Amino acid sequence: MGTPRLELSGVSKSYESGEQSVEVLHEVSLCAEAGTVTALVGRSGCGKSTLLNLAGAMDFPTAGEVRIDGRSTASLSDGELTALRRERVGFVFQAFQLLPTLTVLENVELPLLLAGAAKTAATAMDRLRWVGLEEKAASMPYQLSGGQAQRVAVARALVHSPLLLIADEPTGNLDEASGEQVLSLLREAATRYGAAILMATHSAEAAAIAEVRVRMRDGRIQAIERQ
Amino acid sequence: MKLLRTLILRPLRRDLLRTALTILAVALGVAVVVAIDLAGDAATGSFRSSMQTLTGKTDLEVIATGGIDERKLAALVALPFDVHFAPLMEAQAIVAGIGAVPLYGADLAGAPEGLAVSKGLAGRLGGGKSVTLEIAGRTHALAVGQTLDSGGEFLVLDLAEAQRVMGRYGKLDRIDITVGAKEDFARVEAAIRGALPVSALLEKPGARSEENQRMLRAFRWNLRVLSYISLVVGAFLIYNTISVSVVRRRAEIGILRAMGAARSTVMGLFLAEALLFGVVGAALGVALGRILAGGAVRLIADTVNALYTTSRPAALELTAGEVCAGIVMGAMVALGSALGPAREAMDVAPVEAMSRGAREHRARLSWRRGLVWAAVLAGLALGASQAEATGGYPVGGYVAALLAIGAAALAAPALVLGVNRITKPLVRRQVYGLLAGRSLTASLGRTSVIVAALATAIAMMASVGIMVASFRETVALWLDTQLRADLYVKPAGQSAAGEYPALAGEVQGLLRATYGAAAVDFFHGVPLHFRGERATLGAGDMEVVRRYGRLLFLAGQDRDAILRSLPGRDRALVSEPFANKHHLRAGDRVTIPMGEQVVTLTIAGVYYEYSSSQGYLIVDRSTLLKYLPGQAATNAAIYLAKGADREAVLRDVQLRTAAYGVTVSPNQVLRKSAIEIFDRTFAITWALEAVAIVVAMLGAANSLLALVLDRRRELGILRYLGASAAQVRGMILTEAAFLGLLAILLGLALGFALSLLLVFVVNKQSFGWTIQFHAPWGLLGAALCAVWFVTVVAGLYPARVAARLEPVDVVHEE
Ligand SMILES: Nc1ncnc2c1ncn2[C@@H]1O[C@H](COP(=O)(O)OP(=O)(O)OP(=O)(O)O)[C@@H](O)[C@H]1O
Ligand SMILES: [Mg+2]
Repeated sequence: MGTPRLELSGVSKSYESGEQSVEVLHEVSLCAEAGTVTALVGRSGCGKSTLLNLAGAMDFPTAGEVRIDGRSTASLSDGELTALRRERVGFVFQAFQLLPTLTVLENVELPLLLAGAAKTAATAMDRLRWVGLEEKAASMPYQLSGGQAQRVAVARALVHSPLLLIADEPTGNLDEASGEQVLSLLREAATRYGAAILMATHSAEAAAIAEVRVRMRDGRIQAIERQ
Repeated sequence: MKLLRTLILRPLRRDLLRTALTILAVALGVAVVVAIDLAGDAATGSFRSSMQTLTGKTDLEVIATGGIDERKLAALVALPFDVHFAPLMEAQAIVAGIGAVPLYGADLAGAPEGLAVSKGLAGRLGGGKSVTLEIAGRTHALAVGQTLDSGGEFLVLDLAEAQRVMGRYGKLDRIDITVGAKEDFARVEAAIRGALPVSALLEKPGARSEENQRMLRAFRWNLRVLSYISLVVGAFLIYNTISVSVVRRRAEIGILRAMGAARSTVMGLFLAEALLFGVVGAALGVALGRILAGGAVRLIADTVNALYTTSRPAALELTAGEVCAGIVMGAMVALGSALGPAREAMDVAPVEAMSRGAREHRARLSWRRGLVWAAVLAGLALGASQAEATGGYPVGGYVAALLAIGAAALAAPALVLGVNRITKPLVRRQVYGLLAGRSLTASLGRTSVIVAALATAIAMMASVGIMVASFRETVALWLDTQLRADLYVKPAGQSAAGEYPALAGEVQGLLRATYGAAAVDFFHGVPLHFRGERATLGAGDMEVVRRYGRLLFLAGQDRDAILRSLPGRDRALVSEPFANKHHLRAGDRVTIPMGEQVVTLTIAGVYYEYSSSQGYLIVDRSTLLKYLPGQAATNAAIYLAKGADREAVLRDVQLRTAAYGVTVSPNQVLRKSAIEIFDRTFAITWALEAVAIVVAMLGAANSLLALVLDRRRELGILRYLGASAAQVRGMILTEAAFLGLLAILLGLALGFALSLLLVFVVNKQSFGWTIQFHAPWGLLGAALCAVWFVTVVAGLYPARVAARLEPVDVVHEE
């Protein structure tokens, strides 16, 4: 279908713990395409979060290569990595991770502010409207429910129209109804904004919205299922 | 105990740097207090002359203004009691290559002839057979007869020989009296009293050193109070550290309480943490203080010398009692400042175990309530500042200062919010401005405490700066009026305040005959004991002062009429400090001992004077010589005739007086050296301020570091959202700059209030002089810029820590 936004080829990751090194990812290869949702599923500790961090260029593989938009993350300088995050990648976390001292609107605006973009408030408001929380714009994060906070987090992750959205258990802390709302937003983000979404999840409902399901076990890809 | 280990000690160890910073801050605060105390004791405690230790036990001593007639000794010795009298002379001798050394004349019957040299001095003299001394303008070569087995540096001559070299035949400076053990002390004392002229002072020997201590107490008190500032700043820091500790561990405290821990246990835990900081910090502080005292003692001795009297620093003594006192002080300050946060910990409800800890904790501080209390304290401070001195101490002034600091601390939250609101539109453009402002206002309590701590240090700097500058300006203006003569002549060699080496008699005639001089004013300085305090009895030619001088009298007094009224009459002028100290006004009468008599003088006027807080009582020369015939002049002022060539006259006077060991200084040189002495006097003050600022900086670094560590996760998220390391660093530095700015604003306001207190209340009540207010804006501005810069520098390390955090680790750690 679309072009691959994210490509992992033969990626391994090991952590040094004392004398020995533990390999938590072993020769993983996969790609994520524009407008599609890819779900990573597998038992706790199988390496999903590790993989997401590599994919979001927050961490780097011990072997193999991660390419975002055709560029290998390991070859980029600090400045280029920051620029990459500002322009192409968005993150959603399990625990909403809104900044408690900023208003809802400012939280959504933040990536644009950090990037020094113009008309930040209008764009942020637009995204808030999209997640249906326009009226909460001036609220503080602690005044939101968990589901609302996660919707704000989704709005924030998409405010700069990233090519790639990384979501680590976005519904992990939510009840069923809120989880569904967030999932439909992610789904829509892929179709409407054309983002490639890579999501780690334990929930069947979440996995169900994905075009591609990557089943992992002990740091390896066990199977890739397409719908 | 186990709880203490896991809940308090372990986190401390994990945060080693912050723990170290807090302890260091306490240590510095305690060190300054200990150092000032030790050095003050050493610099002012050794007034008992080395000679007194040599003569052994003395029960009584006789002194008199202008000396005691030697013939009185015969009358005393004739008294039918078992009493021993030791007549003494005292003067400063200038030893070539060494400087001024005390020279004593004493009854050395039976000892080898010639000069006796103390062991301490003998070493420096290099074992020569003869020593050349300059005394009262004359040079004497004296053979060394013996070395005395006694510490210190001094010389002793036989009495008659001493009178000869000092040029004071028939006079004694002091008679030491030892009363036999079997005698009825009161009877003996009464008999001696009866045999002495009414003007002589018969005292217990402790009285003089008590008099000295009394003279210095205002000075030492002010120094001591100044040294407490660092401790106050340290207290703010402990408060801050324990607050952070409580806020961070709310969830843990909640769990403990849910598991059945008593409220008192929780409170005890945090007090124990504070106690740990206090005791460890104070122990370090005492050791550090002992080291600092070594440097401070020189500075303090300089000041004492310049303002009060000769002081030879004694050895520093750190007793076990002082060590304990230092540690107890640290512990008390720590406990006191931790009380608030520990009480807050105690009030954490068990349900907060479920809360998500520090991040959700809202500052409970109400800025409105703070502002109301600040106004109340400010009002009380104003009231306290109006109080009269109590027992010579400006207690009201100190209380007012403390209240003002409290008011500023309480106003801090309102200031933080206010400034944040004002700067919002400016800062909004820069994302880290927004983030920094928000994070500071979100942790309002913490921010306020650190702002208050910094502000206190800054206020101290500003207020003392203003006070010193005002004083300096006042002194400079006063010197203009005081130093009207063109040339000043005084005996060579440095002498401390309150000491008056005599001009050689021949000099008077020589100066009077100076070609080109319009008038010569001879001044006589005589140490005076007045109402248990020291002062100086001075005499000058009032007609010359009236015609050429510019003596400045308190408002409403007619200078010309006052000065005209003095010659030939028992009338006197008093300096402002003298008048204030003894509650005297023009028209009042005072009685003072002069020669054989007790004279009643009417005070004609009060004049401004800034060279001695002990004060002057001035009479006309004719009056002095009437009661103290033959009293030598101690210095002279020469007013040149119109058109006279100053350089030529200077050279001429120098040439003609060359044989008499005098220095002749032109007006400007004297003025310059007066200002230099002034500056040296305040060196210790600046040193104290520097320490307070350093403590505050440690606090700023400490708090910022805490802020960074507590927001690790937020900072990680920022990086995920596209913040560069530079932006994170910029944000922390912006916070530092913001903190600095707030502290400077508050500190300047507080400093201004404190400077008013220092200038118009504390100084006036402690030293008795009126200082004109003068704010050194340029200097102050530069100093504040420097402080601001340093605050930002203090943010560098925390900023680096923030920029180096691994986003992946901090976001995922739970
Ligand atoms: N910094 C690290 N150092 C050492 N080992 C690590 C580190 N981070 C993760 N691991 C290990 O790597 C493995 C994979 O961790 P990861 O967080 O990717 O699992 P996960 O699939 O996301 O699990 P969960 O579903 O519970 O979130 C785990 O065994 C973990 O212990
Ligand atoms: Mg995970």
